[in-house]
Amino acid sequence: MPQKIAHIDDDPDIRDTVRRILTMNGYEVDSYHTSADFINALNNPESIPDLAILDVMVESMDAGLKTYVELHEQFPGMQAVFMTSLGDMILPYFVDKSQEWVCIIEKPVEPAVLLSIIRDRLDRNPSKLNSSA
Amino acid sequence: MAEIDFSWSDRNHQFDIAAAREKGHKLSNEILVENIRWFIIFRWTVVAGLILLQVFFLTASETLAWLGVKENQTWPLAVSIILSGTNFAYIYALDFVKPSRYNSPSANLWAQIIVDLICLSIVVHYVGSTATPAPFFYILHIALACIFFSAIESLIVLIIVVVMYTIVLVSESGMFIYVYQSIMVGAQVVPDESLNKGRVLLWMVSLNSLFLIVWYVVSRLSIVVRAHEQHLKEAMEQVKQAQYNKDQYGMLVTHQLKAPLDAIRSKINLINGGYCGEVSSDIREVLARIDKRGAGMSRLILDMLRLERLKASVHTPETMEQISVAAVIARAIDKLEPVANARNIKLDHATQDFWVVGIPEQLEIILENIISNALTYSYDNASVEILSAVNFQDATGNITVTDQGIGIEEKDLPNIFNEYFYSPRAVVHNKSSSGIGLSLVKIAARNNNIKIRVSSTPNLGTTFTIVFHNILPPGGNAD
Repeated sequence: MPQKIAHIDDDPDIRDTVRRILTMNGYEVDSYHTSADFINALNNPESIPDLAILDVMVESMDAGLKTYVELHEQFPGMQAVFMTSLGDMILPYFVDKSQEWVCIIEKPVEPAVLLSIIRDRLDRNPSKLNSSA
Repeated sequence: MAEIDFSWSDRNHQFDIAAAREKGHKLSNEILVENIRWFIIFRWTVVAGLILLQVFFLTASETLAWLGVKENQTWPLAVSIILSGTNFAYIYALDFVKPSRYNSPSANLWAQIIVDLICLSIVVHYVGSTATPAPFFYILHIALACIFFSAIESLIVLIIVVVMYTIVLVSESGMFIYVYQSIMVGAQVVPDESLNKGRVLLWMVSLNSLFLIVWYVVSRLSIVVRAHEQHLKEAMEQVKQAQYNKDQYGMLVTHQLKAPLDAIRSKINLINGGYCGEVSSDIREVLARIDKRGAGMSRLILDMLRLERLKASVHTPETMEQISVAAVIARAIDKLEPVANARNIKLDHATQDFWVVGIPEQLEIILENIISNALTYSYDNASVEILSAVNFQDATGNITVTDQGIGIEEKDLPNIFNEYFYSPRAVVHNKSSSGIGLSLVKIAARNNNIKIRVSSTPNLGTTFTIVFHNILPPGGNAD
């Protein structure tokens, strides 16, 4: 069964690019336009991904960060990476958060880099996660 | 139907003495503790003075007789014992007893004021309540109470002072029965009784009135100063908030400018990665050029945000840390090696580690920008040398970055750290130069107290020397 990856980004070109790269490398991708869509989808256990790729500035300045906090609380073991145009410039907004848990990929999407990071993160978390809620 | 009331009144930011009085702004415990310690030290000097006076009384009986001062006086010793004992008690309460409602800095200060006023009253009684300036020392306590307490509390201190001074006067006058003008000074002239009563009354009324006036003036001044202090504190908070809002705005603008470029470059990467089928070498070449220009623009956009953040950090200093210079160099090389490899430039490095105190991210900015510049303005297949060394003679540490690139002309050298400066020669060599990199270095160097020396010969190369003062021994921890 392919591993499931959720991707949240308001830019359709970025969504399309990530979907193409990941599906062609054997992953199942659920793309979401907004963080709210993704959080709502998590109510369905079938939609819970193995890894989430979050954008920071979707809907609002820090919607991605809020999603990250919510995700971390609800699914503490779920891997998540940020993919943002701002790269490590958003780090000052990560107050008191584990640097180990936070992984930031700077756009543009580089297929080899993206795949390498996702494989590395999924290797840390091989089994499907259960909600702690 | 939605309805919102908008208001842009500046009322909240206006200076309001009445409000300050109502709030009765008190000083923070930190300030009180700091001053309590100062008072304790000051009191030890008073104790020393009193002991010296006691020694004088014991050893200079002839001089005392000549001055008309009575012998066998022991009050300086008694007062110095009281002051020393209570001083130890204040220190014990401050440093060795858990803070509580009854052991707060404010309570400590109250105890000090009351004990000091009792001791001062004893001194005034013995030295002379109407014949010497001793009673004027009450004013010092009133002024201090106005500074450290609220207006109401300082009024209570005033009342205590008035009561104590009045008791001293009344007790000395024996309910207006004749006493000497000073118990310490011997009676050489017996004054007229009614004249003495008049003088006691005159001192009582005039000095107590003076105490009241001093209390009024100083307490009002204190309220004004505290209100201004509060106003300043609020203004600082507003500046901080404005800085935060400005940074968020900068991030938003940066994001909006860079996001379309990222989408374009992501699609280029998709094609280059073979996800859209085979493409001709001509198309690949065109895509590479588009990507290169896009990358330059992305760098410029991020550098502008970095520049704004660094400028802001001058006003809000970040926490300094102990940093290993070798680690910073290793990170910079790790990051820039792919850039060097792409142009077949060799990155040679020999590092002698030393530790410095600085802002880690800003040291990285300095080194990355200087090495990145060296790579940018080097010719292909050249080499860039990075060395770090400690100069034990003057306790400085240096990082030297040397390239064999296009160099900098003498007339351009003084301007290279200016914002958006780039020389025509530099633009010919690197069309995507933003002119921001070295201004980032300048601000970061200023924030970290670092000097930078630049020497260059056109067409032969440039050497940047980053000079760190006050370096730490290996492993950090200067102490």
